[in-house]
Amino acid sequence: MSAFANILAGGVFHAAVLFLVAAGLQLVFGVQKIVNLACGSFYALGAYFGVTFLTYAHQAGVSDWLILPELIVAGILLGFIGPPLERMLRTVYDRDESFQLLLTFAMVLMFQDVFKFVWGANPRSLDSAYLVYGTIRAGDFSIPVYNLLVILAAIGVAAGLGAFLQRTNYGRILRATAENRGMAEALGVDVRRIYATVFTLGAVLGTTAGALVVPTAAASLDMAVEFVVEAFAVVVIGGLGSMRGALAGALIVGLIRALSIVFFPEVEVLAIYMIVIGVLLLRPAGLFGKAAA
Amino acid sequence: MKLSPAATAAIGGTVILAALPLVLPPYYVGLMIPFYGYAIALLGFNLLFGYTGLLSFGHAMFLGVGAYGAAVMTGVLGFKSFELTLLAAVAASALIALPVGFLCVRYTGIFFGMLTLAFGMLFHSFLFKFYSVTGGDSGMRVARMNILGLGFDKYNKIEFLAGPFYYYCLALLLIAGLIMWRLVHSPFGLHLRALRDNARKAEYLGVHVHRCRLAAFVVSAMFGAVGGVILGFRVGLADPELVYWTQSGQLVFMAVLGGFTNFFGPVIGALSYILLQDQLQSLTEYWRFVLGAVLALIVIVFPEGISGIAVEFRRRLGGTRA
Amino acid sequence: MTPLLETRGLGKAYGPFRALENVTMTVNEQELVSVVGPNGAGKTTLVNLLTGLLKPSEGEVRFMGADIAGIGPVALAERGLARAFQLIQIFPKLTTAETIAAAVVSRQNKRWRLFSSLSADGEVNARVREVADIFGLTHRLDTVTAALSQGEKKLLDVASAFALDPKVILLDEPTSGVATADKHGIMQTLIAAAKQAGVKAIVLVEHDMDLVAAYSSRIIALSAGQVLADLPPDRFFSDPHLIETVIGKRRGH
Repeated sequence: MSAFANILAGGVFHAAVLFLVAAGLQLVFGVQKIVNLACGSFYALGAYFGVTFLTYAHQAGVSDWLILPELIVAGILLGFIGPPLERMLRTVYDRDESFQLLLTFAMVLMFQDVFKFVWGANPRSLDSAYLVYGTIRAGDFSIPVYNLLVILAAIGVAAGLGAFLQRTNYGRILRATAENRGMAEALGVDVRRIYATVFTLGAVLGTTAGALVVPTAAASLDMAVEFVVEAFAVVVIGGLGSMRGALAGALIVGLIRALSIVFFPEVEVLAIYMIVIGVLLLRPAGLFGKAAA
Repeated sequence: MKLSPAATAAIGGTVILAALPLVLPPYYVGLMIPFYGYAIALLGFNLLFGYTGLLSFGHAMFLGVGAYGAAVMTGVLGFKSFELTLLAAVAASALIALPVGFLCVRYTGIFFGMLTLAFGMLFHSFLFKFYSVTGGDSGMRVARMNILGLGFDKYNKIEFLAGPFYYYCLALLLIAGLIMWRLVHSPFGLHLRALRDNARKAEYLGVHVHRCRLAAFVVSAMFGAVGGVILGFRVGLADPELVYWTQSGQLVFMAVLGGFTNFFGPVIGALSYILLQDQLQSLTEYWRFVLGAVLALIVIVFPEGISGIAVEFRRRLGGTRA
Repeated sequence: MTPLLETRGLGKAYGPFRALENVTMTVNEQELVSVVGPNGAGKTTLVNLLTGLLKPSEGEVRFMGADIAGIGPVALAERGLARAFQLIQIFPKLTTAETIAAAVVSRQNKRWRLFSSLSADGEVNARVREVADIFGLTHRLDTVTAALSQGEKKLLDVASAFALDPKVILLDEPTSGVATADKHGIMQTLIAAAKQAGVKAIVLVEHDMDLVAAYSSRIIALSAGQVLADLPPDRFFSDPHLIETVIGKRRGH
């Protein structure tokens, strides 16, 4: 029973990280209609940089208690890649979707070698310093407090993003631009600024998610390309462009992975693809998305 | 007899390709075998992308069907005939492409791309999960086969690949090219291009949009399988990584590099990519970065690819002559 | 004589909103029936129902006696009902000849010829020329349609529909965007072309009442989803109340 609970907890942690990346994807798709194949690369970038950042911080004598905020800072710092990449994408906004996909694919290729160049071909990981936060135990069930904190952080981000989009003026402008770019422009919205901001925000969400994951998993070259498929699964199941969809999709994918490890180990990854295919065929809009093409 | 530019290009290209084994060192000739494999696969891919307007991010799965089909035919079933293997691979890919295509072609754009990516990865995970049959990570061996019933036993593998098999592949490419040429210039080809440009209007002009797309999907799968057999045979191995989504991305890269709006574009793209990759790999360990930059450059500045540049060049040349 | 196209008690509701209600109309051979009405009156919905794009919520729509509810554009084209659009629809990368040929291929049932050369097909090419000649597009046959003028695109749009050899053709505001001076010329070309092509009836959706008055055999006026009138032009235009509802106050010219 508690083994089950442990696995579920792992699934929720995974879902929290997935949600962050998916939220970034949804924002970018919702506002700019771009499907970012390089989201996995942002994730990996955050992970690698997180390792480096923490290692230096540790050497500089910074207390291990600050690991969580440090990782968040690491993720946010990487936001600087947002504007130049968006600038590159800007050249293909008005062209066929295929070109956007291809350009983000080009980014994936380039990022792979950037990782190799800066961090080498071997996976990088941290020691178990994150356990400084301790572990919560209840009988056989245990969950590192760190994981709980990340889950809480993800919930916080979800709530924050939701409030931001629904309640603030800027959020309304974002939603208006997503709904109808031409109209927004006609009403005086600086769409270019919005696109740059949104893309950067999406990048930061991705890099922060990657940074937050490194205490529990190694940063590796495979990360970037493997993660894309899962992130897409989340977005498809939840519905393209929907924040609620990102949350729901992340939970579903995270839990399914966790459950299938327990009950159907052979089916693990297959299960997710089958659900993606099923959703795309039966309800292409996903759980919360709008009508599909 | 005046030849069209296309015929001139085709004949010229064939002559050059035929002469290569006589002038190039065996290493380079060996490089050309994957070119033939990819070129044939890309001719099929571009039927779907350039002529029908559907961008598949899962096309590598059909190359996988070809390679694994070859492994099954030679390894498991013990057949030695290359022709028989080709037939089996083509049949298998058509059988798989029918239901997959039927489900996928109801959508276009991003959804089509995502669906095909998902199916491709599904196939990839099948290859891993059924590792007892497929060898999982290590892949499945593809044994040496006879072409046209001849074993060429006197030749070792390298000689075989640089000699008889090279010309065999050239012939396959020519046949594939001829078939594809007739396809795209047929009434069916016209309907494909019409539905690519404006699916709704095409319907009103009596074009069976879904059926045409499905047909294009199945044909492209069959071409992909042929390419996969060649690739698998060359390496002697059917490898699951051949099917990963980044491989599908690489196919798209090749098509765009060569120019997907031109009939010969994909073939040019296959050649350029293979040569480029080979040269880059010997120059730097970070060849992927350069390739990515090349792709970005093409997408942003030269969306019509190399063939587009060539056509533009020729047009300007023609314009300066009074 | 069976009407070519008819509806009986046709209605379409979107939730609580009734776009069309109890529309009964017929189109017979040799007729040019105009459908008029203010925006929002339900013309587009009616056209979409007539061309098999939508399924009615109630009632039926029949073409040549057969039920065509929701059969879709392809099946409809095969049965002989063609439609030309209000907003110009072209195939940007195809030439004029290819655009017309697409329809001809459908009509001559050659769509599954995978290996025969289209350019060598005499039958198709002859028909393409024929249609192009009728519409005065012969000199533009090899031009890519994206490069055509607006007027030529409009003509091509209609020409490609005609190439289907339809028995009934539905023209959706064929002169919209055309200079007033040219409107009559276009209408006359269309009607002459229809006769030449063997089209048996035309359904016209139009805002320009001069054209409607000049060329219709009958006028059907829609208002708020219902049929207000179904009259020949002389009776239609002699009813001031009708004119006011459909067009608004008519100013003296």
